[in-house]
Amino acid sequence: MNNGFAIEEEGQPFIDWAWILRHFWGDGGIVDAFFQHLYLSLVPVAVALAISLPVGIFVHRKRWLYAPTTALTGVLYTIPSLAFFVMLIPIMGTGQRPVLVALTAYSLLILIRNTVTGLDSVPEETKDAARGMGLTNRQILLGVEIPLALPVIVAGIRIATVTVVGIASIADFIGAGGLGDLIFDGIGRQFATPIIVGGGLVALIAICADLGLYRIEGWLRPWARRAGKAA
Amino acid sequence: MIEFKEVSKTYPGSEEPVVKDLSFEIPEGEICVLVGPSGCGKTTTMRMVNRLVEITSGDIEIEGESIAAKSATELRRKIGYAIQGIGLFPHRTIAENVATVPKLLDWSKDRTRERVDELLELVGLDAGQYRGRYPAELSGGQQQRVGVARAMAADPPIMLMDEPFGAVDPITRTRLQEEFLNIQQNIKKTIVFVTHDIDEAIKMGDRIAILQQGGVLAQYDTPARILSEPATDFVASFVGTDRVLKNLSLTRVKDVRLEPLDGAGNGLPRISENLSLKDALSELIGSGTDRGVVYPDESPNGNDARGVITLDGIRKMSRGVAGE
Repeated sequence: MNNGFAIEEEGQPFIDWAWILRHFWGDGGIVDAFFQHLYLSLVPVAVALAISLPVGIFVHRKRWLYAPTTALTGVLYTIPSLAFFVMLIPIMGTGQRPVLVALTAYSLLILIRNTVTGLDSVPEETKDAARGMGLTNRQILLGVEIPLALPVIVAGIRIATVTVVGIASIADFIGAGGLGDLIFDGIGRQFATPIIVGGGLVALIAICADLGLYRIEGWLRPWARRAGKAA
Repeated sequence: MIEFKEVSKTYPGSEEPVVKDLSFEIPEGEICVLVGPSGCGKTTTMRMVNRLVEITSGDIEIEGESIAAKSATELRRKIGYAIQGIGLFPHRTIAENVATVPKLLDWSKDRTRERVDELLELVGLDAGQYRGRYPAELSGGQQQRVGVARAMAADPPIMLMDEPFGAVDPITRTRLQEEFLNIQQNIKKTIVFVTHDIDEAIKMGDRIAILQQGGVLAQYDTPARILSEPATDFVASFVGTDRVLKNLSLTRVKDVRLEPLDGAGNGLPRISENLSLKDALSELIGSGTDRGVVYPDESPNGNDARGVITLDGIRKMSRGVAGE
């Protein structure tokens, strides 16, 4: 009994609603951190996608490039994120830029690999039939290969997004802001509310992105959906 | 007409040609079957016609014009192409698949839609039911029908078919073969047809080109002559020891001279005039007699017997075959 009383006295309530209301809007508030976090995670995925599509298509054509490309991006992927951020500070200083660069690098491995895998999954006889009917290489790429690879590419975007949303939480370590700001603030002051709010919102973004992209993936292959129904 | 002129193909990095000095002509409106053991270059030979494989030396002429005269894509749009794996576009509906070449040729929407429906009906698929479906929603046999319809879409005078009925069960295959022969009677395309199956070659071919290892043409002839006069030991062994029976399967009962029916023919087996001699022989052996009464299909129980077929008669027919 005594013990329980003591904890209640020295701890705070599990969620301090008053704190949330006070820090909702405004500079460095919850909403601000939320949008910073979105920015920190979505921009790298978008940039990585813009790089990966042409690189993936090129690597798919020039097979011998596949091993060196995945080796290089694989090495980038194994660098621990915090070390990566810190490594970039001498070149780009602190703030958002090194974070954006590092997260783009992480996304590259996933996206290039999925682009190549997606293109590889297009059946050989489908391409052969297309060529035999007189489609040009460009028509085969745009009309057959990319549409058929797209679900696999979107699956890659899903993995990359979820990964990057998570890693972006430690971006605040080098002053990039985001929801990590709330989490570190809470840890520093031994105050649970910002940790729960920050962590919860990170999870929310990741889950929404995952489900949303999953829906898009299914929508991109209506043929599989219908065949599933027919079976 | 398609004319092969001393066509050879050697792949880069290889000394041995896969196709060697091939010269033969495929007359307009005929099905030429390329057949042979695996590695004989039959598929390569077919793929050189629409330049999916480029010739190393020699030339192929279509209607007297070299296939090298036009761009490969332009050439291919005028040549129907159907392959064993079918290669339907999984992300396109049946109608969109069939409309592939018409779309490349900029046909109007109305003309394309009309043509698609016409073709689906031609290959035995209800257009209203199947037009909007995806390939994965169709059975293997139905997909092969669509593959053939797609190859015919722009009404090309020439069609290349690489084991187009390969990926289905034997019963479906037989039906697809027969349906296609019926269609061919009306459309009269010049067809290069590749198969490894000599029975399919005999059934489908107006002419058969038998290739052997190294892409050498062993014999180019009608099915009947290949069966009755195999040019080499290789051809004889490739067509099989049952070539006499195979040849009998090429002739129908109604196409041979029958003996007149004397008496009522009671107790004799009734044989349809549309049976092949091979099937008639089987009926006779099965019923334990050496004579059967031949009737037309329309009135198998009427009294309009065409005549009598005998084991002796069939044996005489096969003599030419066996070369005795």
